[in-house]
Amino acid sequence: MYVPDSGEIYVNGKRVIFTSPIDAIRHGISLVSQIPQLIGSLTISENIILGLERFGMMTNIRRVENYIREESEEVGIKVDPNTEVWKLSYTQKQLVELLRAVMLGAKVLMLDEAITFLPIREKRKFYKFMRKFASQGGSVILITHKIPEALEVADRISVLRRGKYVGTVETRTVTIDDVRKMMFGERSAQITYERLPTSTPDDKVVLDVRDLWVMGDYGAFSVKGVKLQVRAGEVLGIAGVAGNGQLELVQAIMGLRKVSKGRVAILANGGLKDVTNKGTGKVRSLGIGYIPDEPLKFGVSMENNIEENLAMLPAIAKGIIKWGQIRGLANKLINEFKVVTPSSRTPVKLLSGGNIMKVLVARELSIAKKLLVAYNPTRALDEVTAVMVRKIIKEKVLKERLAVLLVSEDLDEIFQVSDTIAVMNSGRIVKTFPAEKAEREQVEKLMVM
Amino acid sequence: MKMRLIVTKRVKPLKFGGIIIPFLSIVVGIFLATIALYGLARVPPLLVYGAIGQSLISPQMLQTFVMLTILGVALIIPFNAAVWNIGAEGQIIWGMIMSAFIGLTVAVRYIIVSPSDLPKYTNMPGMFVLPTPTVSGAYAVEALTMNPGAAICLMLIVAGIAGAVWALIAGLMRAYLDIDEVATTLIMNYIAYYAYNYIVYGPLQGITISTSGFGLSNALHPALRFSRISTATTATWEGVALMIAIFVIAWFVLRQTTFGLRLRILGSNPQVLRAAGINVRKYIVLALTISGAIAGLVGTILFAGNLYQLIKIKTITTPPTHNIGYTAILVSWLSMLDIRGVPIAAYIVASLFQAGINLQSSLGGVSGGSAMISSGALTYVLIGFVLTTFTVLRVFAEYSIKVVREGR
Repeated sequence: MYVPDSGEIYVNGKRVIFTSPIDAIRHGISLVSQIPQLIGSLTISENIILGLERFGMMTNIRRVENYIREESEEVGIKVDPNTEVWKLSYTQKQLVELLRAVMLGAKVLMLDEAITFLPIREKRKFYKFMRKFASQGGSVILITHKIPEALEVADRISVLRRGKYVGTVETRTVTIDDVRKMMFGERSAQITYERLPTSTPDDKVVLDVRDLWVMGDYGAFSVKGVKLQVRAGEVLGIAGVAGNGQLELVQAIMGLRKVSKGRVAILANGGLKDVTNKGTGKVRSLGIGYIPDEPLKFGVSMENNIEENLAMLPAIAKGIIKWGQIRGLANKLINEFKVVTPSSRTPVKLLSGGNIMKVLVARELSIAKKLLVAYNPTRALDEVTAVMVRKIIKEKVLKERLAVLLVSEDLDEIFQVSDTIAVMNSGRIVKTFPAEKAEREQVEKLMVM
Repeated sequence: MKMRLIVTKRVKPLKFGGIIIPFLSIVVGIFLATIALYGLARVPPLLVYGAIGQSLISPQMLQTFVMLTILGVALIIPFNAAVWNIGAEGQIIWGMIMSAFIGLTVAVRYIIVSPSDLPKYTNMPGMFVLPTPTVSGAYAVEALTMNPGAAICLMLIVAGIAGAVWALIAGLMRAYLDIDEVATTLIMNYIAYYAYNYIVYGPLQGITISTSGFGLSNALHPALRFSRISTATTATWEGVALMIAIFVIAWFVLRQTTFGLRLRILGSNPQVLRAAGINVRKYIVLALTISGAIAGLVGTILFAGNLYQLIKIKTITTPPTHNIGYTAILVSWLSMLDIRGVPIAAYIVASLFQAGINLQSSLGGVSGGSAMISSGALTYVLIGFVLTTFTVLRVFAEYSIKVVREGR
């Protein structure tokens, strides 16, 4: 996907140049990323055939199916190769991805946060497979930001920081704090998973969702009768494994996806105002901030600079743009969030992922007068920045009585920030707890139930 | 040892690429074109350079420059939003038709006079006698029904609306039905050509014996014609004023308003606008409509500034616009979609057009063979090479290419 500007890559002592993923696969290196790269309208076996050269142009699909059944048993995954991919849950899709990588004949399996969001049971199963894979002469490179995960499965841990190689250690000789120091240096002291102070919500309901039904991309309901309320001064955290309707729920609330049935209402002029299917412009005009999933695609315009990414929002600029004013706001946000950028007029695409995310979070917080809707707001951030962003959000909740709907696949995040935790599974809210009383194990169980 | 060619997309754009690439492509393109012209038709290179040099300062290219600048601006507005208006031709044609409608029917009335009464009218102020008699043998005189300034304004307004409506159709189809605007705007050009021919044989056909049924309209009243800057050029004061006004307003809108900013973002990432709560469809429709309106104005400039008459299209490749609506696409790309580059690109393309014409006339006396080349062919060889070089240089600007050794 990228070709090095300098430096060399060796496979089995031979220098290689990869100009496409196919080159890497031919050398026995496969990658599984965090986001499933499967074609939704095709079946599992069709998806797998696409990548397999051994089957050639003409293939008997039944042969492939049998082959998949054999292989999947070996990996410890149960799938029906005839199922269309869109019907699968995130976990199943990820398992299909892993299966495909193994079937490509990988000698080196690279997992880029591929199992970070899997439920613990599936994870353990896969850890076992990884052990076996390694004992048979394969190698696994596990990329993760979860230190405990690395400590649990890895033989050796290498740390990269801001694109620089920090060092490699033998897992059995180090503790979590050692690794954390390697990752963050001095700043590692700022990392905490402690719960941030709980906020006592006001009685005022800011977001009221009733019996909401929303279609997914493939014509089946993804959100099935969701009811929820967020009050001023409250963070409602929605926990769930990706692909259980959270995305569709958030998009429906923001007016980006059609609501089939039910109601979304937002506080306006002292009363709740029905905004169901009224469009994103209407929702945003009520003072709502939004941090979307896949922020680099839906949150910021990469070709434009920071100032332009601010002025783009109707809540920040109208009609003729006063660039001086925008520059002032940009610099204020840059300082407040410690965004690393040459200037406020640097194109966003030249910033690192974490800094782009900071720009987005800063912008949305600056316009969120009543409610912030956030989907994985710290996904692309390093832990130090992630904790910082969570603190800033919580501070706004405590001081300015902002209401926050936080959807996250990261349970640490949910537990750290939320005042109320709702668990979402298969399009339904299965249970709601006050955060202080919620227990992690119970939440995890409800997520994969 | 295996060598491999590695092509990667640049993350950062080349420094000054926006200036260097168009400039280099013109210099290199012209150089290559002279070689080709020499190889193909023994055209002496010095003659080519002379013709180009002459055309750069020739007043004759001014009108082309004015129209190309306006059209270039008209096109980069939707191009910035990745909405491709290929339909400037059709929009200009409708601008011409509606200008003619105002100028030939609304702003004047026709007085039919017998040949014996004619001398009374020839010198009467405000009267314009059509040169040939009508079918019945009498003469027609155009008399103004309104203030000429008001009539010209009306022509411009109606032409702008006509161009806008023509583009609006494609815009609505793109925004609400997701039908590719490249195809629709292009097809609608030809619909406009045929509509134009229908109209010059029908509603707007002339009333004199030399025009009626010959696919010609009446001639425009001299008071409604734009005023030429000098006798050496076909450019008009009105055209130049319009060009400056349109350029300044468009620059302001694109750079200093949220509308312009969002148009530019629409080009690279419409999803981000949707998430921001902006009605993307409205922006697509507006981008095309504004573009069409400006192209429609060019129709008036062409009709009231140069042609004064609608003349039927004999073959579909030779419309009265001289395909300037297509040439303008070239101008907007040479400007790298930056409005500040539009006048520069327009100036160069207009000069190359003029160079082709100049070259043809100077070749007349040189050799029999090369005189066979038409000015059109010469122009297209020049512009073709410039464009080819431009395309090649764009590849180098967008990608870095290097050779690496593999294995050991």
